[in-house]
Amino acid sequence: MDKLAETATPEPRSSIEKPREIPEGWEPNILAFACHYCAFAAADLAGVMRLSYPSNVKVIRLPCTGKLDHIYVLRAFERGVDGVFAAG
Amino acid sequence: MIVGEQKPFDEIWDMVKGFKRVLVFGCNTCVAICHAGGSKEAEILASMIRIKAAEEQVEMEVKHAGIERHCEPEFFEPLMEEVKTYDLVLSTACGVGVNFLSERIGNIPVYPGINTEFFGAVPQAGVFTELCAGCGNCILHLTGGICPVARCSKSLMNGPCGGTNKGKCEISQEVDCGWFLIVERMKQLGTLEKLYEIQPPRNWACGTHGGPRRVVLEHIKDLEDENVKKES
Ligand code: SF4
Ligand code: SF4
Repeated sequence: MDKLAETATPEPRSSIEKPREIPEGWEPNILAFACHYCAFAAADLAGVMRLSYPSNVKVIRLPCTGKLDHIYVLRAFERGVDGVFAAG
Repeated sequence: MIVGEQKPFDEIWDMVKGFKRVLVFGCNTCVAICHAGGSKEAEILASMIRIKAAEEQVEMEVKHAGIERHCEPEFFEPLMEEVKTYDLVLSTACGVGVNFLSERIGNIPVYPGINTEFFGAVPQAGVFTELCAGCGNCILHLTGGICPVARCSKSLMNGPCGGTNKGKCEISQEVDCGWFLIVERMKQLGTLEKLYEIQPPRNWACGTHGGPRRVVLEHIKDLEDENVKKES
């Protein structure tokens, strides 16, 4: 197969990250995108009720989860966030 | 509009991985409508390349930008100086845009981020269909407004062929037979008898078989040339 034909039909490869050893005591850094009208209100209520949630979850309020764009998620991963949670 | 699809990411990575400063450059007209190469897609692609570079421990600066059109020079002007500071432009415009920028950018390579496919319509959001192949000699008045060049898999001028099967083309059950559509449409228009006239072989030189095509409107071109002369 010549070079041009090769580039036209690339071999399927996987870009998925290989699983790594998880160091002991490691905690994922999680970002939660929450809708102002439901999930964020629920988080607020949890606060009022003095319920606690793990400190490795950071909440970002959105006017609606419809505002959640692909790039927000990608930017989060680029900046070292381990998991993104969308609630709305 | 021109329809294209983003290339598989692995193919894109192979193209860009040897460069230090890469600009992913989107076009906000046709390819933005088909969600393949507008500013938004360029931004997402730039982010994916940065993530991949970090994962592979390749040092690379990747930025994104977008302009309204990659097929007319005026639109490049505000950005051209900056664009020329990169080692590689990964254009997500259609092939026209990649060619056009390549000719203007000097020593910097411009690589394609998308596969340009056809010009088509948008019958519903997320669906794009090829309806015209730009053959340069339109005969839609003879075929009930349905194009046999683009919509018959064999581009037959006197169809259908023997492979037509209950409205579908013999190449696939997923593909409508273009000539079935033509006959149905002409029945509806009451012009079916037009099909008794046998069409002679076509002159494909008006299409891409005659070499690259060019349309020049002398009255506008002359005026432009005059203005350029005056300015200089
Ligand atoms: S006949 Fe030619 S110009 Fe007309 S719709 Fe078909 S491909 Fe396009
Ligand atoms: S089945 Fe219809 S669309 Fe397919 S090649 Fe024959 S005439 Fe053309």
